[in-house]
Amino acid sequence: MKSFYTILRYEIFALFISPSTYVAAFYFLSLLAIGFRFFIETFTNTDWLLPPLSSLVVGLLFGSPALIPFITMRCFAEERRLGTLETLFSAPVSSWTLVLGKWFGCFVFFLIISTLALCYPLLLIIMFPEQGSNLGFNEIENWIGSTLYLLIFGASFIAIGVFSSSITKNQMVAGMLTFTLLTAYLSIMVFSFGNETSNTYYTISQKLSDGLFGTYINGLDKFGQFSVGLIDLSTILNQLVLTSFFLILSTIQIERLNN
Amino acid sequence: MSAENKPLPIIEVVNLKKSFGRIQALKGVSFSIGKGEIVGFLGPNGAGKSTTLRILSGLIPADAGEAKVCGVDLAQEEGLVRNHIGYLPENNPLPEDLRVIEYLRFRALLKGLEGSRLKERIKVVLDICDLERKISERKIGNLSKGYRQRVGIADSLLAEPRLVILDEPTIGLDPHQSAVTRKMMERLRGEVSFLLSSHILSEVEACCDRMIILSHGQIVAEGSLYELQKRFVNKTIFQIDASGNKIDIQKRIRSIDRTCELIQDDPVEVSGKRRYNFSTEQGEQIAERIIRTLLEEKNIRISGFQIRRPDLETIFLRATKKNWEKHDFLNRNKI
Repeated sequence: MKSFYTILRYEIFALFISPSTYVAAFYFLSLLAIGFRFFIETFTNTDWLLPPLSSLVVGLLFGSPALIPFITMRCFAEERRLGTLETLFSAPVSSWTLVLGKWFGCFVFFLIISTLALCYPLLLIIMFPEQGSNLGFNEIENWIGSTLYLLIFGASFIAIGVFSSSITKNQMVAGMLTFTLLTAYLSIMVFSFGNETSNTYYTISQKLSDGLFGTYINGLDKFGQFSVGLIDLSTILNQLVLTSFFLILSTIQIERLNN
Repeated sequence: MSAENKPLPIIEVVNLKKSFGRIQALKGVSFSIGKGEIVGFLGPNGAGKSTTLRILSGLIPADAGEAKVCGVDLAQEEGLVRNHIGYLPENNPLPEDLRVIEYLRFRALLKGLEGSRLKERIKVVLDICDLERKISERKIGNLSKGYRQRVGIADSLLAEPRLVILDEPTIGLDPHQSAVTRKMMERLRGEVSFLLSSHILSEVEACCDRMIILSHGQIVAEGSLYELQKRFVNKTIFQIDASGNKIDIQKRIRSIDRTCELIQDDPVEVSGKRRYNFSTEQGEQIAERIIRTLLEEKNIRISGFQIRRPDLETIFLRATKKNWEKHDFLNRNKI
């Protein structure tokens, strides 16, 4: 556990001293701010049915193929390029701890950026309480649902990025691979949007079974529920399984490299 | 000391084997290293030195055989051995964007050090490796090769290891920087056991108590320099600086002494002259006759003649020569 915290601290520190993450975060947050402002201004003229806060989450989710590669591309690719992976393993650290530490470090950075993005509506409600409450920014259930949705998808997207970084020595290749995989996954979810069969679950085991083995492509359909504070367990399980799957793959890859 | 009270060796390796695909990197290596010993691990490229060191560091598993490092059986508790050893990998890879002090702190934390002990150990290793405060504040990416190597060695000493494994610690270093590494080992002599692989034979000769020579995945020689000299070169060595045809020289010498052999196939060029090393079973008394015969030869000009004590290079070439000829590129015995 101690080595996990050490790797986590090192990873966060490495991200904070890397100029590429600052550049990516700055452009990402700027574009998101512009988009959010534009959306809030024109919100009444659109046929957007969900709470306005959800627009920010959608922006973060669909913008993640541009942000996550910058966060994850260096974590293993750089270690492999420099050969420092061998030095790391000469200390009492397991592959699993290393992968988990690096993934969590990237996830913390993603959380920081997401928190900064979520400050936009927060600032709005502090500065203009009346307009903020009219737009539903004071409804706590919207915040909980949307944030949870962002967290579970962020976790799986970061795991995909960590895996991409573990299979190449080249940061650019790792970044491009993450971008491609995330774009492909989001596209599949967009194309299957609205095709969800209405399942009725009678027992918790049916719900769990759908979470573990059910469809992974209807994530966007569930967003409507999350955005109004209805937590869907199967979506959370889907993303946890996806996260674990890519982290296990990364661990296997790192073990393979080590041997 | 009775056998029961005898301290356990730091490294005990029995019949260690490892293959990478069709290539047999190690074919049953056995040796042991005692507490406080400094042992040089020598061998030509591809001999299996780095593979052995990586197995002993718990980085890769062996296919067969037994290996105990600091009493830890590598087959059973591979990861545990990393708590007892310091390891400097070949080429010493380091993160370029961290400062020396940040890197050492990170490594110390990974190795389980904390609080005042962490600070104290960092101070001690910086002192042992001659890394003054100004250097410790610099980014690793901006350091010279010599300083980077010192950072790597400082890292390997952080957790007060009982054994330090150094893979090519002085490769690419100037004599001053190599001397720092030697000084560091001298300072810790007796307290810490060192196993170092190197191509720089003079370096090994200067600081190691014992040498293990590996060739094609097998140990071909083991012992102190004196023991190896006695075993491999119990002959007299003549060093002849001459201009002239190698075959002519060899022919002339062999006409006087049939036991005389050229040690290196390719003579070394020294200021326009070629340096030949011959070994003979006849002893020093034959030297005079050889000089006289060579001086009489018109095609050969002699500029130097020396009776020499065999150095590690000669022993190394001798020890690995037969083994080298017997194996193909996949490390298999030639039919």
